[in-house]
This record gives sequence, structure tokens and C-alpha cells, in this order.
Amino acid sequence: MSAARNKAIDHLGRWLLLGLLLIYTVYNLGPILWLMISSLKGRADLFAMPPTWIFTPDLTGYQSVFGVGAARESASSFGVFDSLVNSVIVSSVGTTLAVLLGTLAGYVCSRFDFRGKGDFLFFVLSTRMLPPVAVLVFYHIMFAKLGLADTRTGLVLISVFANVGLATWIMKGFFDSVPREVEQIAIVSGYSRLYAFRHLVLPMVKGGIAATAGFCFIFAWNEFAFSSILTTTQAKTLPVKISTASGATGIEWTQICAAGVVLIIPVLIFFYLIRKHLLMGMTFGVLGRS
Amino acid sequence: MARIDLKNLSIHFGGFKAVDDVSLTVNDGEFAVYLGPSGCGKTTTLRAIAGLVSATSGDILFDGKRVNDLRPSERNIAMVFQFVSLYPHLSIAENIIFPLKARGVAKADIARKLDWVTGIFKLGDDLRRYPSALPPGARQKVALARAVIREPAALLLDEPLSAIDEQFREEMRWELGHLQRELGVTTIYVTHDQREAMSLADRIVLMNHSKIVQVAKPDTIFFQPSSVFAGQFIGSPSMNLIDLVPVSGGFRLGASEVVLTHAELPEAVIRNPRALKLGVRPRDVRLVSGAGHPLPVVDVFSVGREKYFAFRIGDTIHQGFDTLTDSTPGGVVFAPDGLMFFDAETGMRLETGRIAA
Amino acid sequence: MTDTALRPRSTGRLMIIGFLSPTVILLLFMVAYPIFSLIYYSFHNFSALRPNEPMTWAGLDNYTYLLSDNDIWARFVFTGKFVFLCVSMQMIVGIFVGYQLQKTFRGRDVLFTALMLPMMLSPVVAGFLWRYMLNSEWGVVNYLLTVVGMDKVDWLGQSTAALWAAAVVDTWMWTPFIVLLATAAFRGIPETIYEAAEVDGASPAYLFFRITLPMSAPVLFIALILRLIDSFKQYDLFFALTGGGPGSSTETVSFAVAKTAFSYFYTGEASALAMILLCIIMGLAMILVRHLSKMGEHD
Repeated sequence: MSAARNKAIDHLGRWLLLGLLLIYTVYNLGPILWLMISSLKGRADLFAMPPTWIFTPDLTGYQSVFGVGAARESASSFGVFDSLVNSVIVSSVGTTLAVLLGTLAGYVCSRFDFRGKGDFLFFVLSTRMLPPVAVLVFYHIMFAKLGLADTRTGLVLISVFANVGLATWIMKGFFDSVPREVEQIAIVSGYSRLYAFRHLVLPMVKGGIAATAGFCFIFAWNEFAFSSILTTTQAKTLPVKISTASGATGIEWTQICAAGVVLIIPVLIFFYLIRKHLLMGMTFGVLGRS
Repeated sequence: MARIDLKNLSIHFGGFKAVDDVSLTVNDGEFAVYLGPSGCGKTTTLRAIAGLVSATSGDILFDGKRVNDLRPSERNIAMVFQFVSLYPHLSIAENIIFPLKARGVAKADIARKLDWVTGIFKLGDDLRRYPSALPPGARQKVALARAVIREPAALLLDEPLSAIDEQFREEMRWELGHLQRELGVTTIYVTHDQREAMSLADRIVLMNHSKIVQVAKPDTIFFQPSSVFAGQFIGSPSMNLIDLVPVSGGFRLGASEVVLTHAELPEAVIRNPRALKLGVRPRDVRLVSGAGHPLPVVDVFSVGREKYFAFRIGDTIHQGFDTLTDSTPGGVVFAPDGLMFFDAETGMRLETGRIAA
Repeated sequence: MTDTALRPRSTGRLMIIGFLSPTVILLLFMVAYPIFSLIYYSFHNFSALRPNEPMTWAGLDNYTYLLSDNDIWARFVFTGKFVFLCVSMQMIVGIFVGYQLQKTFRGRDVLFTALMLPMMLSPVVAGFLWRYMLNSEWGVVNYLLTVVGMDKVDWLGQSTAALWAAAVVDTWMWTPFIVLLATAAFRGIPETIYEAAEVDGASPAYLFFRITLPMSAPVLFIALILRLIDSFKQYDLFFALTGGGPGSSTETVSFAVAKTAFSYFYTGEASALAMILLCIIMGLAMILVRHLSKMGEHD
């Protein structure tokens, strides 16, 4: 084999692989770009064939999502903006509670051996694999009985349950990475275990808590199956609202595209915040998830 | 088997010169050991020979043929790495025959060669086991078997013993040396352990700061180090280095009152009196008894029959090492044969011709 | 794991109980209780429309009815096809992209981060976005097809095309998941292993199939099982993308459970179907757990 042929083969192979990777990148990111472009299009441009590349931006979609301008009057009794408010409230409260519970449970699972620990961890993990429709059959009846149907409180409860498993697993991972000596020294020095947890260990996993909260927030924010079935009007979240955004003229694509972009924003912020630890953090997160 | 030539080899990583203008010939069947502190460029040189890094400038020749542009797999070399690089999902036998299978060697040949290396390395009992079941030393033996089975033109070993426990390392070292002589394969071995280098090498290639410092037989490098660096790097405990200050009629030893007169010194030293360094290996320091000695012993501790001791020259402490069982050692003297003289400015040794070899 | 020095006396036990019980109570209430109810419902004639009427014992009627219903079999067949298609596409594309992205090159981290985006989107957004792009009249996908000289496809109006469309969308969304885990697995293989193989004369393809893939198999297996579970229970995507149509040709098992329970209110029958779905998923989950604990032993 000659050195020149080596080089030629290497080059050809590299360009081929690069080409394939490029095609994948277009397939992967193209639709998101298309969503962003489309969200700025007016009705006429949205359905133009061939698609228009140069157009006057039209913000009607965003106006209706945020309930401002012309869209305010035309909005029905419960608008897209109300659903955005619901989404923000439900996801924030749900995330806070899930991370709180997950931190406590994760700590105990990281530090103590107790009977049934393995079963507990499997149980927690299984909540991520549970098909929502399976438990929804029961929730639907129970929520009606307890007066939780179509309430934010009900959705918060769902959001906590759906994320506490993820939070427990991720936090257990972060606690595992804190040496046990941290507490041992504190206890030998006469502090209580609780004190060591609150004042020594917790500050050490601050970053982990933030990352966990980020993941939980995004999953709560995107959640659809539960919300779509357990809400009817007042408590609809943004994903549910856009799924029913069809008016007299068919599906309201302008609203859907704008709402889609709004739904992506927290993901982009989160990606930016944890950009340095993304690979590790996400691997952690998705393994705990699903 | 092959002769390997490096001609003005330089390897740069960005602005960093990892290997700087290195030229060397390793003869067919020779066991050459690259020795030097970490970061001196020895491993990079080895990896360049293997083809895992490419030369920035200069040539690498196998039997006179330039191989710079050949892939590692086309150079017919075999390599053993510092950290065990066995394939964990393959059994020991599968690991050993991997290079043959990757090249599509016929089954019958593979079986025959496997028998051959299994015999040499006495690995018969372990063939069906997996790497994780073997202790690190045995794993390295498998890596060596995998390297040898191809009967490569050259065997490249990158600190192969450094991750093994002390006890097993000694044993492996003997075995390795024996094996190399039996197979007669050209071998380049990289290590930072001077004892390994001394016991294995036909020739030691001492490197420091990306350059070759000295190339010589182990004994030569020990008794005739080219420089302060070579003298101090080889030998354990390390060579003592004492300032020689020129005074009328001789040289004063550091900050002490002791003066070495011209009569006691070799010709090359007195010819051109200037600031020098005296190198004395701890072995060449002898204990003597008596109080009020100008080079007083300050501390002694025994390890079995051997005595390690510290002595003082002015304010600096130096080390010595002796087997005498003197009950009350007071001071030290130097064995005249063990004195080495270095230029204080360049660090190069003065050729005195009086060193025992 | 036992922490003898810290082996807690009373404070430890208190802490375990105090820290764990909120989560345990929540999960018992939100998971265990519903599943037991589900089992109970599945053996009764019951409709959520009349929650206060006494349920009547139905024995295995709900199950035998389901198993004799061709429509239900069609849901399972469709779900199976969908799972097979999208998971195999995701694994192949994901492993390929993951292998390219384990190499270090300029801009790699930015590209990697950007490529993770689809998986973090709401499935509803993904569904609608693709529904918009796949529209047969004015969708950009068909436009691109005409640009390269191919015929327009009625993606969502034809059952086979809709299956492919759904698989392509799910692949779009979840390939990044495989990429993420595959890259992590590939990067976990020590550099010297590759160097050794290179010196040993392995060609790039031989290296990939005989070293890289087998060595990362444990992690890829986790990814595979997780994707099987997720795509098997897929619901949101179809809700937004096809609405189950055309006709009911793209209804997954989950979709059928939701429709039976919340449109027709045949709660007993829906529960039985949900039980079957649950058993399949639990089966996959058991494989995963067994694999995870085996991996734990090896480490």
C-alpha cells in the first residue's frame, strides 16, 4: 500500500462522513429553524407555495400568545396567554416540590443502607417508564371525585409525581460524588447529621440541584398527556392549548408556531446555563429519565 | 527484525517542541531503552516510531525505508502500552490472536502461532478467561504475547511494567529481558525507571527537555555520565553534587574548609582552574571514625547490613551509603576512583580517564 | 455501601423516615393505588360516566373481548411496526452520529449541544411542527421533494406514508438521545485500546465492529431498551401529528387506551388494555433492571 493511496482513501472517507453528518445536522436543526422562521410569517406567507424566504415579519402569533395588541380583543374567554400563565405556575411549583422531595430522598438513598432500598429505587425509576394512559384511567376518576379536575393544584400534583423519580435519581448521583468524610468529620466534631446535611453537603451540590431543577422544569413544561386529559378549560397548559388551537379557519398555525417558539425558549436558556456540563449532565439526566 | 533510524526527528504540538531534532540508530535485534523524566519526549518519540503521532520534520526509517507516511498497521511493529490495553470483551486467547485476525491470517496459522506464544509465556491455563479475571501483571504478559505473536519487525514498549506491583515487576523484568534475547527482536523500551533501564538495555538513550542527552551502554552511562543531568538521573540514591571553588593550589569543597590539592586531582581538572562541580555517588563515600572530622557525619540509620548516612559540607547535607559496621563514625572520605568533575557552567563532565569501569 | 462509622442510631432512622416518607407516600398514592385500581377495574364492567353505580364482576370478559377484537390487534401490529421502524432508525443514525461526534474537532461542543435540541422539545410542538411541514399542499417537505424532481407524497393522508412519517418524526426527536448515550459510551473507551488496535492492524471498519461496538454494547443496550419502552407507549406525538388518522390507522396502543377510556368511557375495557400495555412495558423494564444490576456487579 502506498502512502499516497492511503491519503486519498483517508480524504475520501473523511469527506463522505462529513457529508453524512451535515445531512443529519440539516435534518436535526432544519425543522427548528423552520419553526422560528414560520412563527414570524403572516397567514399569506405561511401557506405560500413555493415557500417565501423574504417576507414582512408578522407578529400576530406572538401577540396572541402574550395576549397583547389586536389579539387581545379577538381572544376567547380563555386565551393562549392564560395557558402560558398556567404553564409557568404549574411547572415552577411542580419543579420546586419535586426537587425538594428528590433531594431528601436522594440523600438518604446515597448515604444509608436500609431494608427495601433497592425496591424503592426501582419503584422510583419505574415511574419514568409508566405509560401515562395506564394511571390516567384512575386519575380521571379520582380527580373528579376530589375536585382536582381542571385545576392547577391537580396539575402540580401530577408534575411532582412525574418528576420526583428523576430528581431522586439525579440527586442521588450528585450526593454519591460528595465524600462521606464530609459528614463524618462534622459528626466527630459534635454536629448533628442534619446540620451536616444542611450546612455542608447541600451547599456542595448546589450546582447539581440547579441542573436537576432545569431538567424537571423542562419535562414539566413540555408535559402533555396528563394535562390534556385532566384539564378542560381553566387549567389548560400551553402545550394543551396549542393542540386545540383550531378556529373557524382550521388549525391556527400562526399561534401554534409562535407558541412552539415560546415553548422552546426555556430549553434554550437551560442549555445556555449548563453548557459546560451539558454532556455529563444530560447523560445523567436522560439515564434517570425515560 | 529491522534497523530503525531516526534522522533529525522533531515533533511539535502547537508551539511546544515535544521532540527536538533527535537522531538515533537502533540496530537490528538491539534492546534500546529510552530513559528520562516525565515530559522529556521519550514516549512521543516512541509513538512517532509506531505512527501514532506524525513527525513535524525529520525522517523515520525502517531498514533504510522511509515510513513517515505509513499507517501504524503498515509498519509491522507491535506495541505494549503503559496502561493495560487488552480488549475487555475478548477472552485471553482472542486478545492474543487479535492482530492476526485483523489481518486475515489463515486459521491454521493462527492456531499454530497461538500454541507457540502460549508456550513461551506459559499462558495455557488462562486462555479461556477474560482480562478482568487476571491480575495486572498477568494482563501485561498477555499484552506482550499479543505483541510478539505477529513476529513484528520491532517491539515498542511504553512503560509496560510501571502499572504493576513491585514484586511482580521484578519478575517480569527478568522474563522480558530473557525473552527479548531469545527472540532477537529489535526492541525500543520507554521508561522513567533507571533501574529498569540499567538491567534491560543494550543501550540507554537518555533524554531530557525533548533532546537526547547521552546514548551509551548502561555501564558507560553510569561510570562516565556525559553531564550533571546524566550523573544525577542514573544511580540510586542520587549522585551528590558539590561545588568546587578554585583556590590557590587546589579546590575548596563547597563551604567547608577542606581543600583538594592539585596533587590529588587529575590532569584535566587542574589544567584550566575554574568553578567546577564534583560528583560523588553515595556508594563512593566511605565512613571513617574519629571526632572533629572536617566532613562530619550528622545522621546514620541502618537497613540490615547497610548504613545510610548524611554528612555535612558547610551548610549543605549530602548522602552516603556504606556497608561498614563502624560503631562511631565521625566523618567521611571519598573514594578517589569515584570522583567525577563537571563544568559548573555547561554541566558537561571533564574527561579525566581515571574513572573505574 | 454500609457506612459503619455513620451507621446511625436513632437519628439515622428518623432521617430516613423523615426524608423518604413524603416521596413514598406520594408514589404509593400516585402509582401503586392507581395500578391496583386498574387491575380491579379491568375485571369489572364499569364506566367512568357512572362512577357511583356499583361495578359488576366481569371476570376475564374484558380481556377476552380485547383479544378477540381485530381492531385491537391492529393497534398492536401498528405499534409494533412503529416501534421497530423508529427504534432501528434511531439506533443506526444515532450510533453513526455519536461515533462521528466522539472525535474532537473545532466547534464540536456547540454542534453537539445544538443537536440535542429536538429531544428537549414538547412532543406536541414536534408533532404540530412536522404536521405543518408535511402538509401535502403547502408543506416544505413536499416542496423540497418537487425541487429535486420527485412527486409529492400525501404524508399524513395515507396509512403507510403516515407510519413512515411518524417514524421519521420520532427518529428526529429521539436520535439525539442515542447520540448522547453512544458518545458517552464511545468516549468511555480508553484511547490506548484504539491505539493498540491501530498498531495491531485493525482497519477502521474492523475496529468499529469488533472493538467499539462490543465495548459500548452495555450502554447501547440501555439506550435501546429505554427507546423501546418510550416508543411503545408513544401517545403525544400521534395526537399532534396524525390525530390517529387517516381513519384509525395510526392509533397506538396508548392512543387506543385513551380513546376507549376518555371518548367512549368503557373504563373496564380500557383498564384491561392498559394492563396489557403495562405488562409489556414492565417486561422490558425488568430486562433493563437486570442488565443494570449486572453492569453494577462488573464495575
